[in-house]
Amino acid sequence: MAIEERKYAAYLCKGCGIGEAVKFAALTKVTTREGKIPLVKEHDVLCSPAGLEMIKQDIASEGVNCIIIGACSPRVKYEEFDFPGCLVERVNLREFVAWTQEPNHPETQALAEDYLRMAAARIKKGDLPEPFQTECDKTILVIGGGMAGLSAALEAANHGYDVLLVEKEAQIGGFGAKLHKATPSSYPFDKLQNSPVLAKINAVQGNPKIRVWTNSVIETLEGEPGLLDVTIKRNGELETLRVGAVVLATGWKPYDATKLGHLGYGLPNVITNLDMEEMAKKGKIARPSDGRPAKAVAFIQCAGSRDPDHLPYCSDICCAVSLKQALYVRQQDPDAVAMILYKDIRTPGNNELFYKAAQSDPGVMLTKAEVTGVTEAGGKLKISAQDTLLGENVVFEADLVVLATGMVPTTKDDPILNLKYRQGPGLPDLDLFQGFADSNFICFPYETRRTAIYAAGTVHQPMGLAMAEQDGVGAALKAIQALEHIAVGMAVHPRAWDETFPEPFLQRCTQCKRCTEECPFGAIEEDEKGTPFYKINRCRRCGTCMGACPERIVNFKDYSVDIVGSMLKSLEVPTEEDVEDDEEVPLRILGLVCENDAYPALDAAAQHHLRLNPSIRFVPLRCLGSFNLVWVSDAFSRGVDGMILLGCKYGDDYQCHFAKGSELCAYRLTKLSETLDKLGLEADRVQQMQVAISEFDTLPQILDDFVARVKEIGPNPFKGM
Amino acid sequence: MAGETVIKPDLDFIKRIVAAGGDTAKKCYQCDTCSVVCNLSPDNKPFPRKEMIQAQWGLKDVLKSPDIWLCHQCSDCTVYCPRGAKPGEVLAVLRQMAIEHYAFPSLLARLVGDIKFLPLLVLFPVLLLLFVLKALGVLGVRVAEGLTHQGLAIPKGTIIYSKWFPTLAIDAIFLGAAAFAVFVFFQGVKRFWNDINVNPWTVRLKGGIVKNLVAVLTDILAHNRFKKCETTFARSLNHLMVVFGFIFLAVVTGTAFLLEWVFHIESPYNLFSHLWWLKVIALMGTGLLLYGIYQVYLARQANAEKAGPGTYFDWQLIYLVAAVGLTGALSYGLRALLPIPVLAYPVYFLHLVCIFCLFFYAPFTKLAHLVYRTVAMLYARMSDRGF
Repeated sequence: MAIEERKYAAYLCKGCGIGEAVKFAALTKVTTREGKIPLVKEHDVLCSPAGLEMIKQDIASEGVNCIIIGACSPRVKYEEFDFPGCLVERVNLREFVAWTQEPNHPETQALAEDYLRMAAARIKKGDLPEPFQTECDKTILVIGGGMAGLSAALEAANHGYDVLLVEKEAQIGGFGAKLHKATPSSYPFDKLQNSPVLAKINAVQGNPKIRVWTNSVIETLEGEPGLLDVTIKRNGELETLRVGAVVLATGWKPYDATKLGHLGYGLPNVITNLDMEEMAKKGKIARPSDGRPAKAVAFIQCAGSRDPDHLPYCSDICCAVSLKQALYVRQQDPDAVAMILYKDIRTPGNNELFYKAAQSDPGVMLTKAEVTGVTEAGGKLKISAQDTLLGENVVFEADLVVLATGMVPTTKDDPILNLKYRQGPGLPDLDLFQGFADSNFICFPYETRRTAIYAAGTVHQPMGLAMAEQDGVGAALKAIQALEHIAVGMAVHPRAWDETFPEPFLQRCTQCKRCTEECPFGAIEEDEKGTPFYKINRCRRCGTCMGACPERIVNFKDYSVDIVGSMLKSLEVPTEEDVEDDEEVPLRILGLVCENDAYPALDAAAQHHLRLNPSIRFVPLRCLGSFNLVWVSDAFSRGVDGMILLGCKYGDDYQCHFAKGSELCAYRLTKLSETLDKLGLEADRVQQMQVAISEFDTLPQILDDFVARVKEIGPNPFKGM
Repeated sequence: MAGETVIKPDLDFIKRIVAAGGDTAKKCYQCDTCSVVCNLSPDNKPFPRKEMIQAQWGLKDVLKSPDIWLCHQCSDCTVYCPRGAKPGEVLAVLRQMAIEHYAFPSLLARLVGDIKFLPLLVLFPVLLLLFVLKALGVLGVRVAEGLTHQGLAIPKGTIIYSKWFPTLAIDAIFLGAAAFAVFVFFQGVKRFWNDINVNPWTVRLKGGIVKNLVAVLTDILAHNRFKKCETTFARSLNHLMVVFGFIFLAVVTGTAFLLEWVFHIESPYNLFSHLWWLKVIALMGTGLLLYGIYQVYLARQANAEKAGPGTYFDWQLIYLVAAVGLTGALSYGLRALLPIPVLAYPVYFLHLVCIFCLFFYAPFTKLAHLVYRTVAMLYARMSDRGF
């Protein structure tokens, strides 16, 4: 729905202190003369009914359809300044000027004017989005029939979505259905109960919206969200179906106990917690070697967990499981004792109450201990331990030893999804989380780098039944959200409002494959000739392809290399001719900032009325991944003295909303210094900083330090050329 | 591995701790807050954290620990315990069990520790005293035999308790009871001393016993340790009053013994005789004892929420001390101030029963702490544990 006949107007707000900080007559002049915006109006409170009415009047009577709003941050009042059918460009005069600069200073005025120039440049090149819409199958494929999968299936079905539940084994229920008893899931959390999975199994089997396929595994999964073709191997036969989104809930497998010889595994009376569960379910806890009753049972916690040589992480449930199994021992024989040897007892959430209850049993004994060995002598097992709460070097005698082994996600060495994506069959971040399909938990739980595929349960993180149940619900809701967005042609997290999408000018593609390699979401495939093509429904609209492309052929309707380049070129860069002889030429520095964390951090700094350096002009980027190197030459040829990029933290503990964007940008910058050297410019003029959304208080210092460094280097020699 | 200790949990021992009032021991999760907040605990291997886990695991050796005696049950640990494990109360129970462990015969200690047997324990001195009275011929139910007084008849004339219960008989009985207590204590302390000298943190004891004992006794008399308590700070004064009450009364009893048998001055000794000073000390002692024990009672009630309500074993001694003081004061009042023979003699009898209980059962009641704590403090002092 491109705008045919463009009618531009700019509305400048004097409220919230803007009117006191800058001279509006000069702003209007710049907007009209340099920005070439024919209609410029001021208002005391633009977001008031009267202010909005003024704009609406102009839309109705004058046919205005391209609107610059010079007021507050685009992150606020977006409902007020939403005018359907109109292109709206927000200029952040309040946060970036009025609240962070010295009022009525020439530099403050120059800053506000530059923001208006950039807005005018941008709105000329932008256009309204036309959503990309395809058919969208809203069936949700749930892989794995354990607690998380059952819970996800029920949640999706209860919201009216068709669900296909695929289970590898002959029965659904997973580990939860194989338990003798479960740890308590309701107040007062002190008694063992039947596994809550049993009720879930019945609910799923009785739900007409859920198809359950057992003895089934995913052979391949191809296409894109809303149009995923899944081929399932069911009882040995292949069948292909269309689904829309996926919940991956294939759970865990136990850590290989044969690697735990140092804890006695291999001795007949040393078993794992799974063996114990099975034995208890069969009804009798006894020594495997001779069937004699187990009068003293020792549980060794963290068997192969939180151990750099085995699993470096905590599996979350083993402590509660051992406490539960200690109660099995006690309930079978009131004269038996259960000894739990732990690193720390970890019973998160309400399991703490269960810990208290189990601990109160006279025959359940606990101590911290570093187990150094397990040997058998005279029919008894002897467990040597160091650093116990009972003394330095002690020996425990037991009839039976239970190793509390941890969880290994099923995705550890099997892609499971078997995606037919150019970037590979599995989820790309598995190596970052020891095989778990995890993500930044605070910022975006459930997300994976494969759009509309959400991880739930122990494939996601180690967790118990109660948490897996909730996790399944969360993942199902994310899947529903993804489908509904895709159906109307909108992006999903984190640009969940965005209707634009990449529109490459493929005639100029050189098939360099940078976009297909770098896309964090594997959204770009290649045809047989090697030409890339997009699977738009996989795309998150970060623009990493746009930043990667050396031919600069990737465009969004309101965001492209050209649009940002035009903005940079629109700046007024003062030269020696503009100042008196004895005055210094003020520096002009560009701040390219990530919209997800750095931009909100700048807004937060403004809300705290922190002073930000007046020489820097901030330009929001969808992600630093969309940073194209050509902008550096655009800016420096314009005479800009420096360029600072503010992006999210990257690396193992990344906060980048597009997972790889800020990291890729940093990588591209390593290639930049050569280019700058050739131009005779210093590499330090372009620097990338990592800023978390909460670090707004550090921004003034970061910016001042950068400006000081540029000042030290001196002005851009190309200035005024 | 050298120096390893084999851990042998004893489920029965845990059950006994729980039954004796240490049910909270299992709640401990070994955070060590107790040892940190305790003002009495030594820096090296502090209590009560380690005693708590020994109790949880049913490791009987905890009874041999001198550290359980270094605890004065300030209850600071109990107040700060994040899990409600009440280490102060648990250590009190462990001390009770240690008293039982070292007492001979330990069966008697078990009876003392169980409220079910209280009537039996009181009945014993009652019957014993009645038996002696009968043997002396002052007790009889038959009237016909021409005795000076008949049956349980109250002697006529001025109230003089020795008319009814000869001093010689009393001294014989009570010296006997005391001798029994001393014997039992001696056996217990001997075993305790041997046990603590093989404890893991034994160091070569330093200094002479006598010199150290004097220092420890000074410490005890001044209640220097007690004064470090925060939650139950008031106890340092209350307990001090009770202790000095007993000391005064002991002085009076000793002096009376001398007067009676060495100087042959017969009791009773009155306030208005030349021995008035003795009576003044006696009255002061009784006053301190009664006021002190009353304050102990009040403080315990007031602190029950924070420091725990106390066990039967605790209250038994408080009531016994109160009974000794009350019957003693009443015996005096009903004799000298407001003579009512028909009440005076029976009350005096009760007083004798109470004192017998106090003496005879001393190695088995909480009173035994007098001996074991002193020994433990002496040991701690001599082994450089900061005492």
